[in-house]
Formats: sequence, structure tokens, C-alpha cells
Amino acid sequence: MCAAYVVVIISVTYKWLSYTLGVHVNQAKQMLYDYVERKRKENSGAQLHVTYLVAGSLVQNGHTCHKVAVVREDKLEAMKSKLATIASVHVYSVQKALLKDSAPLYNTDYDIVKTNLHNCSKFSAIQCAAAVPRAPAEVPQAQRASAQAGSRAPSDAGAGSAPVVNGHAPSAAKQTSQQPKGIMEMFAAKAASKGHDANKETKTESKEAPGVSAASSKPPAKSSIMNNFFGKAAMNKLKVNSVPEQPKEEKEVVKPSVPVAEPESSSNVVVEKPGKKTESVKSQQKDKKSKMKRVDKSDNEEEREPENLKKKRKRIKQLESDSSDEEADIPPSPTPEEEKAPSPPPVPALKAELEPVPTEVSAGGRKRKRKRVLKSKMFIDEEEGCMVTEKVYESESCTDSGDDFTESKPPPPQKQPVLPAKKEPKEEKKNVKKGPAAGSRANKQVSIMGFFQKK
Amino acid sequence: MPQRRWLHLHNTWQDVQVRKLCELQLQPSILQEISEEHNLEPQPPLPKYIHPSDELILEDELQRIKLEGAIEVQQLVTGTILAVYGCEQDDGKFLVEDHCFANLPPSLPWKGPSADRFVLLVSGLGLGSGSGESLLGTQLLVDVVTGQLGAEGGQSCAANISRVLLAGNLLSQNTQSRDTINKAKYLTKKTQAASVEAVKMLDEILLQLCTSVPVDVMPGEFDPTNYTLPQQPLHRCMLPLASAYATLHLVTNPYQADIDGVRFLGTSGQNISDIFKYSSMDDYLEILEWTLRAGHISPTAPDTLGCYPFYKSDPFILTTCPHVYFCGNAPRFQSKLLQGDEGQRVLLVTVPAFSATQTACLVNLRDLSCQPISFSGFGAEDDDGDMEVGH
Repeated sequence: MCAAYVVVIISVTYKWLSYTLGVHVNQAKQMLYDYVERKRKENSGAQLHVTYLVAGSLVQNGHTCHKVAVVREDKLEAMKSKLATIASVHVYSVQKALLKDSAPLYNTDYDIVKTNLHNCSKFSAIQCAAAVPRAPAEVPQAQRASAQAGSRAPSDAGAGSAPVVNGHAPSAAKQTSQQPKGIMEMFAAKAASKGHDANKETKTESKEAPGVSAASSKPPAKSSIMNNFFGKAAMNKLKVNSVPEQPKEEKEVVKPSVPVAEPESSSNVVVEKPGKKTESVKSQQKDKKSKMKRVDKSDNEEEREPENLKKKRKRIKQLESDSSDEEADIPPSPTPEEEKAPSPPPVPALKAELEPVPTEVSAGGRKRKRKRVLKSKMFIDEEEGCMVTEKVYESESCTDSGDDFTESKPPPPQKQPVLPAKKEPKEEKKNVKKGPAAGSRANKQVSIMGFFQKK
Repeated sequence: MPQRRWLHLHNTWQDVQVRKLCELQLQPSILQEISEEHNLEPQPPLPKYIHPSDELILEDELQRIKLEGAIEVQQLVTGTILAVYGCEQDDGKFLVEDHCFANLPPSLPWKGPSADRFVLLVSGLGLGSGSGESLLGTQLLVDVVTGQLGAEGGQSCAANISRVLLAGNLLSQNTQSRDTINKAKYLTKKTQAASVEAVKMLDEILLQLCTSVPVDVMPGEFDPTNYTLPQQPLHRCMLPLASAYATLHLVTNPYQADIDGVRFLGTSGQNISDIFKYSSMDDYLEILEWTLRAGHISPTAPDTLGCYPFYKSDPFILTTCPHVYFCGNAPRFQSKLLQGDEGQRVLLVTVPAFSATQTACLVNLRDLSCQPISFSGFGAEDDDGDMEVGH
């Protein structure tokens, strides 16, 4: 048997340093350079290997070619001598081991960029004013605009020129051709300032401000549709924008957990209430919610949370007792949300109250037992995008009159506080009596076990 | 267009609206391939499908006639539109004395910038190829454009890049594997297409670029869009991270745009490589110029290159002369500033495939000059190779 050694080359690239310390890239490069200089002065035998980035131009085949290359320190002079003019030379990375090839550098950079994708140009020397992430609501408008441009194309088929094919390209080009003028001014200013932190911060602030104001001016109705369409990026933005926009669904969740925002939302509710009442479809649901809110508004702010819970508990118990039209009207999803939204401990208690009630009733009457049964479950696996069938053991109540043998799977303590207490004495008795013999006959003849049980 | 019988033509210019056909011996024929009687093996793909026995046929809506004489058969491809000067002979063939093309169309007025502005043309990123050779080069390119690499002088130059144009083949040919056809379904159920990972990588790269500069993305031969020309833009749902930015423009192939007042027109290279296959012309730049002079972006479509069956009008006819005319995925970088007879100025650029050459093109919009920019890392084999490259 031979041992395997895994050698991990850790290299510190300027980009990694820039993201990790939160500094401008040029500053990171300078820091690396200073570090190398210092270490080498202190200890001339320092085992530091450095790679450099060389950029410049040379004349090849009659025209000027630009070259940008990452080179090891020992090849630096050779590369510099090859280039006719050198535009820049700076430290790319520092590592302890000698690198055979530049793959570890790429891996380091790739990993650090991947973890910082949302602000990948934060520390770079170029900022683009036009590169503002669109709010999700803007995107369908942009798409509609391009679709309209595209639909113009067939009608213009008589024109018979290249722009017809690329219907939206000229319009897109027109939009962006106005912007680069502004960008250029920005770039000129940016390049001159050489990445001062203060400058950078004002830039990021000014970038965020138009982003938020643009978002708030968009119709909030679109946001819920776009939630499904886009990935995380859109979701993050939506959360940022939820405060100014306040879409209805989010209000329910946001309200109890953010008591500070309470006055805002309640005032909104007051305004919206008359509007809600006129809607017939969801009128009952809204009445319930608006009733709750009216009640809340009248409460003191300090006592809001427990009172909320009280009110909610009352409501739920009422639901339980008259399980007729109220349940039918209210879709199941909002109520669990509202239950969950306040602090978690009351909720399992609520559930504990709910669930044992039906099971107790049924257990006393018909000797229902919980049994573990091998069942096949089918569900849709989101990652793979396919349906998966799995066989799992599931607790199931069975109505076999005699049977008592069950594998005692410990049920969740909150849910059935009463039932296990009842079951356990019986099971203990059973186990003492039979031992392994019972185990072997577990899944076979269920009715035979009842024979023993009657003792 | 008056129809004239061939007999009446003596030393006159034939009308221009005729099409040329080439009878090719080697042209892949689907009928031959599926013909079992002949027991023929399917024809392997050849680099060129020309043969000495090819013939030229002039054709219009009514008639066709063989051409002979002062005309190069191998230089022309099916679908070329030209004018021929000559007369009909007794054996029914047309003896050509001279021929000419439509030549450069009139140019657009020049509204270019007065200061240095650059457009970076890249093509053939080839993501998902399974080999990581060009990945560092791609990352270096992104870093230069976004202003992370280079000293301040280089960064301020990079700040003048006002557009990045990706001209096709963002994905590698290796992502085109069609295992799902050959293998049984139960074997391929859980494997995802190679293009999925590649598109995710593309999304990350585009995100980095879009936060810094407007980007136009054209699809190419191996990209997930339709096959026939004109190829439609990649769908933005494939690029969720990058398409959140307004600086990302997903555009068609061929693509025409006005960037800072300069008219760009170009393709991802399928038109040029198809002409390369069916003619004796070897130089991509020469072919590019030839298409401009012939007045048509892709004469071989739809004969040998898939194309939407336009029947009312042909959108690939060049009616105005662009300022920059490019094609992507060329074997190497070439550029030429063409001067037309009527004062047109066109910059012809063949953009090399980045996955093979690690080279992109920087076009200066002020003076229509173009320079290649290459990126490289280092590898174990560089120790010997470096010394041999001279000035």
C-alpha cells in the first residue's frame, strides 16, 4: 500500500487579496509588492516565489500587437526584453512553492470571484454608470420593447436590408450610443482619481440610490411573477425593494416580525381597507385580516406581540370548532404563514393542542395504532427536474383490531404528548414477554400477534 | 428585368440579376448517403469541396447556361450575383470575356468619435471544452477590460473600451455531444448536457464584464440557439445573473449596430467558413472582402448553409457599406482598411477564435485601426518556447 500525498498550492493573487481585505486592486498589488520587498530584505533566503503581470506591445508582421502575460519571476526580464514598449508590470501573485503552470492562479481567482459575484467590480479601477442591475419589474418591459421591435421586422420585410433581420439591434444601439457619452466622462474622471476610497464610496452610493429609486417607481404587481422567473439575483433585489414597494403578500410576513414598521403598514392598511372591501372574491379573507389589523391598531404597541398571538389563537380555535365556511374560504397557505410569523414557541404548542385532539378521539374509540409501513413516495426533485419515487418507512395508523406490535419509532415529542404515554406501557410489556421471537414475526402474520396480545 | 433569349446576345452585358450555380462533384449529397444500393460509405467531412471538374452555370428565373472563358470556376460559389460580358456560342455555352461584381455599396456618413474609443472584438471563447488552457486567458481578458489588471496607464486605456462584442462560439464544440441519441435513456437520465455547465460559466464571465462595460453577445455555430441564419439571440433565461444588467445585449447573428456613431456589421463566421469550404479562396480576409464586393453577406445560403427561407426580400444583401465589417472564429487575426471607389472606408477584421489563439481585437473607432491583444499564462513547456519568438 502506498500513501498518496496531496499537494495544495496556496497562492495569494492580487485579486484574492483585494476581495479578502476589501481594498482597491491597485492597492492590493502594492501591498503584495511591499510584502515581497520587506520579506526579502529581512531574510534573503526567503522562499517566496512571485509571478508578475507584464503588459506591453511589440511589432509583429508589420502591425502592433498587444500582449498581456503572466510570467514567473525568472522569466520576467526575458518577457520585458521581448516587448518593444511596456505598458505595465506589477505583481500578480505570491506563493511559497514554485509554480509549474498558471493553473493554481486561475483557480484562486476563480474561487474568489465566484464567492463575490454580486460585487465583482467593487474594487476595480473602472466603474460603469450604466451597469445598474435592473429591478425584476423592468425586465419584462425591456423584453416587450424588444419583442415589439422584432414584430416590426416582418412588416418591414419590403425594406430588404440587414437591419430588418436584427430588428432590435439598431434600437438597442441607439439607446446605448447615447449612454457611452456619459460613461466616457465618468471613465475619464475615474481614471484620473486613481481609486480613492472616498470617491469609490460615493460612487457605490450613487449607484445604489438610482437603483432603489428606479425600483420603487416600478409597478409592484410584477414582482411576484418575476420571483419565479429569475434566480437568486432577482430575489435579493426584490427583498431590497420590498421596503419601499410593500407588496401585499410580503406585508403579512413583514408586519409581525418588524414591529417598528407597524405604524407604516397599519396606516397603509387603513387606506387600503375601503378598497379591499369592495372586492368580492377575496372579501371574506380580507375581512378577517383587516379585522385583525383593526384590533391590532387599537392595542398598545408594547403589548402587540402577545396580543397578536392571543387573537390568533382565538381565531384558530374558532376555525377548529366551526370548520365549515371559514375554512373553505381561507386558503391554507396564509394561515400557516401567519401562525409561523410570530415567535415559534407558541406555534408548536398550538399544533400540539390541535393534533392530539383528533387522534385521542379516534384512538380511544377504535384502537387505532401507529404502524410503520413501507410506502413508496413520489415527489418532484427540483435539482434534477424529474420525478423521484422513493420507498420510505412511514407511520400509519391501521385499524387491525388485535395487532399491537409496532416498531417503536419515537414520534416528535411536541406533536403527540398524550399518545406515546399510552402506547409505551403496552409496548414495554410486550417486549418483555416476547423478545426476539416477536421480532421475527414482525411483518408477516399480523393477526397472529393479536393472539398474544389478548393476554 | 427584361427576359432575353440567349441567342440575341452578342457582346452585350447580361443583366445583373442572375445567379450562379456551381456543379460540384464533391458536394455532400444526402441522397448518396442514404443510398444503400450503391453501398457507399457516408462521405467524411472534407476541408474543401472543390474539384477540377466543377462547372459554372449562370441562372435566372427562366433559364440557365454554362459559362466558359475568362472566369475562375473555383473562385466563385453558388449564389454569387454578378454581371458577365460575352456572347453565346454555337454549342450553347456562354463565352465570358469579362465579369464584374456589384462592388462596394455607398457608405454611411461618418459620425465617429474624435477621441480614442475602443471596441473589443472577441470570438470563440469555447467554454465547456473540458480543457482549461484558455480559461486563464479568458480571465485575464475580463480583468483587463474591467480594469483590474495593469497599472494605471493600462487601466485608463481600458476605461476607453466602450463596448465588448462577443462574436459567437461562446461554447465549445465539445458541448455538442449527442449522447442522448446514441445511448439508452436509462443511462442518460441523470446526466446533464455539457452545455449546462458551460452556460453557467458563461453567465459568470458575462456578469463580470457587464458590471463594467456594455457587452453585445452574438450566438455562433455551437451556441444554444437555432441553426439557420439569421440566428436568434441567446435567451436571457440562460443567463440569469448577467441579464439583470442593462449593459448586457443579446443580439442576433449576423449583427449590425451603430457603436459611438460607427456602423458595425459582422457575423460569427459561418458564412465565411462556408465559402471557404466551397471555393478555392483560402484567406478569410480575402473572402470577407469578396463578400463585401459581391454585395451579399452569405451567398451560399441557403444552398450549403442553413438559412431561413426568405422569399420576398433578402436581408443579407448589402445596401450600405459599414465602417467595420468583421467575421468571428477565423483561424487567425487579420485586418485591412479598404478604400472604396466612392470614398468608402471599411475596416475588415477577421476575429480569431479565442480558445485557440488567446487573441482578441481592439478596434479604435477614431481612426478605424485595429490591433490584436493576446493573453497568456505560463506552463511547464514554456521554458523552451519563449526564447524562440522574435520581434
